[in-house]
Amino acid sequence: MKANIPAKPKNNLKLVKRLISVIAIIAIYVWTFASVNIEWSKIFSMRTIENFDRIIPRFFDPAFQETGSIMLKMIETVFIAYTGSLAAAIIAIPLAFLCASNIVKSRIVNQIGMWILGAVRAFPEVLLAIIFVAAVGPNPFAGVLAISVGSTGMLGKLYSEVIESIDMKIIESLESSGANKLQILFYGIFPQVLPEFLSYAIYRFEIDVRASSVLGVVGAGGIGTLITFAYLNRNWEEVGMILLVIIVVVTIIDQISSFIRKRLV
Amino acid sequence: MIEFKNLSLTYPNGTQGLKNINIKINKGEFVVIVGLSGAGKSTFIRSINRLVTPTAGELHVEGEDILQYKGRDLRELRKKIGMIFQSYNLVHRSTVLKNVIAGRLGYTSTLRSIFNMYPTEDIELAYENLKRVNIENKLYSRADELSGGQQQRVSIARVLTQQPNVILADEPVASLDPPTSHQVMTYLKQINREDNITTIVNLHFIDMAMEYADRIIGMRDGEVVYDGPASKVNEGTFEEIYGRSIREEDMRGGKEDVES
Repeated sequence: MKANIPAKPKNNLKLVKRLISVIAIIAIYVWTFASVNIEWSKIFSMRTIENFDRIIPRFFDPAFQETGSIMLKMIETVFIAYTGSLAAAIIAIPLAFLCASNIVKSRIVNQIGMWILGAVRAFPEVLLAIIFVAAVGPNPFAGVLAISVGSTGMLGKLYSEVIESIDMKIIESLESSGANKLQILFYGIFPQVLPEFLSYAIYRFEIDVRASSVLGVVGAGGIGTLITFAYLNRNWEEVGMILLVIIVVVTIIDQISSFIRKRLV
Repeated sequence: MIEFKNLSLTYPNGTQGLKNINIKINKGEFVVIVGLSGAGKSTFIRSINRLVTPTAGELHVEGEDILQYKGRDLRELRKKIGMIFQSYNLVHRSTVLKNVIAGRLGYTSTLRSIFNMYPTEDIELAYENLKRVNIENKLYSRADELSGGQQQRVSIARVLTQQPNVILADEPVASLDPPTSHQVMTYLKQINREDNITTIVNLHFIDMAMEYADRIIGMRDGEVVYDGPASKVNEGTFEEIYGRSIREEDMRGGKEDVES
């Protein structure tokens, strides 16, 4: 049944615009596919099937006897993530205040803060890890540095958004009672932002556990080192076991972190 | 005593908030400022604790011109002037006690306040003030668990804990229902009488202004257009202040509900 309301005005320009966007998206898709040189005949060949036959079953036959040494490295991975995200959670606070336009009332300082955080965010963790391995040597500390720098960018940005959304009237009322700036920070701002800060930091820790699992591939400590060795030796049973440990541990941490975060805010 | 001398305030965008105000408010008076929204009531009140800074003239509080105050002087001034807001402005996640003790911030060193090491007298003072507004049983509740009226009472307790000479209230009942509004105004009046604290309240409800004020100041377009004792005010006066006839929305009503 036709609803008894005024008809929607026809807008041909809008229709043309939509049509152009759709054509553009399809064109880009076709173009990229055509230029990456996929050899379909190789992908759907007997060799692929044989490789899968050879390797995949070995993944599903994990080397349980290695559990001890793998768990040890997994714990190291979690430690790298924890230390790195803890450092980031703290370093990000002053940077976030620089970026928050309701606290620092200088557009230039805000922009500088944003620029620092943006520059840091532009580096993927693995790239940072390569840089820090070169700087401090191939050890877990390089991983901690990579994680903390990488996380600072994201946490600083999220924190500054939290700070910008606080109720400024509370700040005004503390000001009107004669409180000084530091007292306002501790009585007016921190109570409003800390639970959210903590929630974001835990969320970032969750991401960092996953990120630090691969850092070892470039020598920055953690379980990634084991993946590299096992892979180079074509020891697929061990790779399978490592993956299993990572999946189980990451899932458990995700569950715990979302449980805590739900109760925080 | 608070004295406005040829006081004007022009906002950066050119709007004139206050135009050449000359007013003297005596110690212990209960003054209600009435006027439509945008008449300059808020600007008037906020000049007294320098939340806004007038651009011309003089404003004397206890004999000193406060317009030049900065930093420490300004904090010393504000310590002695309590302010109550329309939206209560409590820290939602903090307890009632922590919100009330925040009234002592001006008296407490930064380090002591950060580590929550208040003198026992201060904590007892906060509790006594909660008792005065009958909300002491909510001492350890989170502020956001309280109703609007309760939150406004907590904010009165916070202001009392400042031990002020002056209380400013900017539309303290605008977010409350009629019975709660009367309750809050009754507390303000009672405190004004018992402690001899000069109280200046912004209201736009004419029935409440007539009921609680000693003195009514009427404002329109940044100017004081009426100033006189509440006993001499009638609806005609308000029509002059507002520049239009009185409507239903200018009345709060609801007094009967409180007494019944």
